[in-house]
Amino acid sequence: MSETLQTLSDAMSSLVEAAGPQIVRVEARGRMAASGVVWSSAGVIITSHHVVERDDNIKIGLADGSTVNATLVGRDPNTDLAVLKAEASNLTAATWVDANDLRVGHLMLALGRPGKTVQATLGIVSALGGAWRTQAGGDIDHYLQTDVVMYPGFSGGPLLDASGRVAGINSSSLVRGVSVAVPAATVKKAVETILAHGKMPRGYLGVGIQPVRLADALQQQLSQETGLMFMSVEADSPAAQGHLLQGDILVTLDGQPVRHVDELQTLLTGERVGKTVPARIVRSGQVQDLTVTIGQG
Amino acid sequence: MSTVLQNFSNDLAAVGEQVLRSLVQVRNGKRGAGAGTIWHADGLIITNAHVVDGIRQGRTGDGALTVLLSDGRELPAYVLARDPEHDLAALRVDAQNLPTITLGDSRQLQAGQFVLCLGFPWGVTGGATSGIVIDAGAALPEVRDPHHEWIAASLHLRPGHSGGPMVDVQGRLVGINTMMNGPDVGVAVPVHVAKAFLKQAMAQMYTRV
Repeated sequence: MSETLQTLSDAMSSLVEAAGPQIVRVEARGRMAASGVVWSSAGVIITSHHVVERDDNIKIGLADGSTVNATLVGRDPNTDLAVLKAEASNLTAATWVDANDLRVGHLMLALGRPGKTVQATLGIVSALGGAWRTQAGGDIDHYLQTDVVMYPGFSGGPLLDASGRVAGINSSSLVRGVSVAVPAATVKKAVETILAHGKMPRGYLGVGIQPVRLADALQQQLSQETGLMFMSVEADSPAAQGHLLQGDILVTLDGQPVRHVDELQTLLTGERVGKTVPARIVRSGQVQDLTVTIGQG
Repeated sequence: MSTVLQNFSNDLAAVGEQVLRSLVQVRNGKRGAGAGTIWHADGLIITNAHVVDGIRQGRTGDGALTVLLSDGRELPAYVLARDPEHDLAALRVDAQNLPTITLGDSRQLQAGQFVLCLGFPWGVTGGATSGIVIDAGAALPEVRDPHHEWIAASLHLRPGHSGGPMVDVQGRLVGINTMMNGPDVGVAVPVHVAKAFLKQAMAQMYTRV
């Protein structure tokens, strides 16, 4: 027998041990605690948005066994990330690896600290791809799927490569049924934006909307069955400045159909803020093309 | 690069082969089958209590219990002692010079370490599954019973693995396969818990003699 298996096994447990100080327990929901990754030695912690169910009384469990208070700096539900500030300093910050440096087949470890100790599962990179958009409308820089087992409480924890660098934040809620991580590039953007502004910029129109069924003739003409009726238009809002009126039915925005509330929310991303985009509406049964400048929410 | 992978694969297979000799199938009459591990050359076998559920203790047992050795012999067995709380049972067969398993130190287990589990998943002889230790010890927050010590590993235990060995990369027994916690997580009783159980069981027997 060669020494390979023993060497590999020892290397993996050493990697887990070495990464331990970078991984914290996040106590911010009623049931079982989740995990987080140390972003900076000054106490900035990154975790998953969906495990931070309350905005205060958040506690962080550190590797040395102590528990400290933390505040919520901000969150981005669209990419399922949240940034916390723990009352701690001299923490060990994680180092990151870009998804471009990974290949399908690379060994990866998922780590978590739902209890006192660091836990680990092993897998490989199953699929790597380009940018994609989450169901909640969040822009993710790379599709990073692994076959690591997401053990209870692993959300918010790191996906480590074989050299111990963090390739992403594991989330069990981005895509159900498969292990998909939010890659380092997306994490970096979200953390920097949240630290600077307290939240991610979102597009804003200033309307209250309700999906409605279009008349048969319009369904034929527009190739869609439903649109979004403006139930209210706030004064001086981007919608009001674009001459949109209460009762108008929005059918496309920036060339994309808006059949459901989700479809409009997905279009109101940060990068559309300040942009003037075409808006196709139905007013008094007639199709009209207007423009609207997306505001910041 | 490929040499490392081949070595890894061959090493894993060698560990499996080595452990297979000490793996037995425990046949519990009509109630299906589980696995067991040869602890002592004189016929002492460790398994789960739930594998011999319903079998009466002692030599006067129901006669329904047999053990299939790796050399193909099927021997009558009886339940020497059991501890349902830790889900452990000690069986005895009338045989000598059986291939025993080397005992490891489950107190030294660390998250990330490779382990291999063997048994009879869905009845398949010597079915192996490998993965890494997720965590070991008491108070694993997600295991139902927080009062006992467990080993949680990222591998695929199935019905029929119960009572079989969980070994480290040297083939040393570190745990007794006990249950699955979902399809991707196997839970084992640490071997030091099994040791304590056997020690106590033997002590009780001696006082009776």
